[in-house]
Amino acid sequence: MRIVPRSLSGRLLAIAAVTTLAALVFAAFAIGHVLERFVTDGLDRRLDAQIAVLAGAIDAQGRFVPARATILPDFAEPAAGWRWQVTDAAGRVTASGAALPIPPRLPEPGRGPHRWPRGADGGRSHLRSVVLPTPSGEVTIVAAGPRALIERPIRDAMTPLLVSLGLLGLALGTATLVQLRLGLRPLRTLRLAVEDVGAGRRAHVPEDQPVEIRPLATALNALIDRNAAGLAHARRHVANLAHGLKTPIAAIGVKLGEPGRDPDGALAAMLRDVDARIRHHLGRARAAAPGGTGGRVLLAPAIGDLVAVLARIHGARAVTIAVPADLAAAIDPQDLDELAGNLLDNAWRHAATTICVAAHGEGGMLVLAIEDDGPGLTDAQLIEARMPGRRLDERGDGHGFGLPIAEEIAELNGGGMALDRSGDLGGLRVRVTLPRATLAPA
Amino acid sequence: MRVLVVEDDAVIGDGIARALRAEKFAVDLATNGEDGQHLGETERYDAAVLDLGLPIVDGVTVLRAWRAAGRDLPVLILTARDGWSDKVAGFKAGADDYLTKPFRTEEVVMRLRALVRRAAGHAASVVTCGALAFDAQLGTFELDGLPLKLTAFEWRVLSALMLRAEVVIERSDLIERVYEGDADVDSNSIEVIIGRLRRKIGADRIETVRGRGYRLTAGER
Repeated sequence: MRIVPRSLSGRLLAIAAVTTLAALVFAAFAIGHVLERFVTDGLDRRLDAQIAVLAGAIDAQGRFVPARATILPDFAEPAAGWRWQVTDAAGRVTASGAALPIPPRLPEPGRGPHRWPRGADGGRSHLRSVVLPTPSGEVTIVAAGPRALIERPIRDAMTPLLVSLGLLGLALGTATLVQLRLGLRPLRTLRLAVEDVGAGRRAHVPEDQPVEIRPLATALNALIDRNAAGLAHARRHVANLAHGLKTPIAAIGVKLGEPGRDPDGALAAMLRDVDARIRHHLGRARAAAPGGTGGRVLLAPAIGDLVAVLARIHGARAVTIAVPADLAAAIDPQDLDELAGNLLDNAWRHAATTICVAAHGEGGMLVLAIEDDGPGLTDAQLIEARMPGRRLDERGDGHGFGLPIAEEIAELNGGGMALDRSGDLGGLRVRVTLPRATLAPA
Repeated sequence: MRVLVVEDDAVIGDGIARALRAEKFAVDLATNGEDGQHLGETERYDAAVLDLGLPIVDGVTVLRAWRAAGRDLPVLILTARDGWSDKVAGFKAGADDYLTKPFRTEEVVMRLRALVRRAAGHAASVVTCGALAFDAQLGTFELDGLPLKLTAFEWRVLSALMLRAEVVIERSDLIERVYEGDADVDSNSIEVIIGRLRRKIGADRIETVRGRGYRLTAGER
């Protein structure tokens, strides 16, 4: 069994509960003790007054002279528990009622009155005694009062005291809970901010934090920035690589196109193969270097731009677009262009006449569905289509990575992709899920 | 037809220019964005081939500058950047077509012909004017169904007249569409070319509009 709870608030709560309980128990004992001493001292003073009067009735020979003793009003009713007893130097005992017990330990002769340990008289009486030295021997005077005089007020006081302490405990517990909630709130807020960064709803976590958490927020932001810089670098590198490789390949292609340089076209075919391989790897590399966190893009204008571009490149199709104007994806705009561009390009190549693009929000995600009225894919083809490099369509000049690249981009951005047959159009339907950006694009 | 090619890679630029000239186009070549922008703003072209990754001024900026200056020539972007965002940016800047490297020079020629034809307002690839037919996609002329053999200069003049048949083309406009930027232009050479064309297709098909220019007509009035 685990003694220390995993949860931070659990630990703080456990510590608070143990210390509060200990403090309350200590307070109850301390207050009870002080109260008992106060009440006992009052009774002691009354017993000691009677002992002093009795001591005055001892003559020089150590004998008790009852005529010289005044009996205080409390001791007038021995039945109520107020009693006294004198044992003179000769051992004669004079008592106000039944004989009192012999003190278990006699006090030093000549010292002040001594309190007997509790329970010496079956717990009913509170006893005080004194031993007086006389030339003829020691005289012992004992006075007893009812112990109930001590216990009753203590009992009367302890009940409200314990109730008060119980209420105090409850109040402290509530305060601890409130304190935990308030105290740990910045951690919860920070966690939500990190989630927002992950989902692209914000670029950084706020650094305006309590002193204890501020270094953590700063460190997180530095990490986010380093991550973004690394991705930007990777992306730039891929773009430079694309430019650096494709331009010389294009130049070789142009040279090979000159009369007599490549009579049978074998070199041009090899160059096309090299180009296809480079496109393959650059496409994969670009998909694997997502634009980083913090991207937000409105879906409708991005789709509109891509549709306009595809209409220019491939010619017009009947395109239905049903994308809410305020629906935004938490993704880098370039990633969305690459994802939706590949899927729309695919639809454009295969559609007979019609393409349907629709999107809607589903909680924290959005679903983008692109359907066409082309031949669609069989179940086997649906599996094959998502394997990189398996081109199902050899007609177009697409490099065969449209679907896997789109899927990879969707997954790297916290979404996913599913392929099936379009119910309305009969061709391929691609459904992409992406995290939804709740804030308006910056 | 006169085409501006803006391409910093010498092999690619020369290769495209050679392929276009072989198809009778007049070609001006700029090897950086600044020169390309200047030529596009000051000279008259039927179309332009524009690289995006250019020295000094990048291609998208050049294209925006042309459009801002009111130059509406059709532009084919030819670039190594094949990302969809690049394509969107290119078209938004005012491109009419987009071709990624590597490419086949034949495709550049075909796409330029299509751009020029569409810019002149012809949806069909074959443009006719009376007995004269111009396959704007293949770049061939036929007269009464028979192929017409033309020199490069004759082809440039006739294609310019053909794409705007029944419209007066100013003489200066015609000169600009026929000669490359660095050519020595003899002030009478257009008349010489027109004279040769009249002999080949019939004198009454090309009218001289005094003080203005020339007009290609169906010749049936």
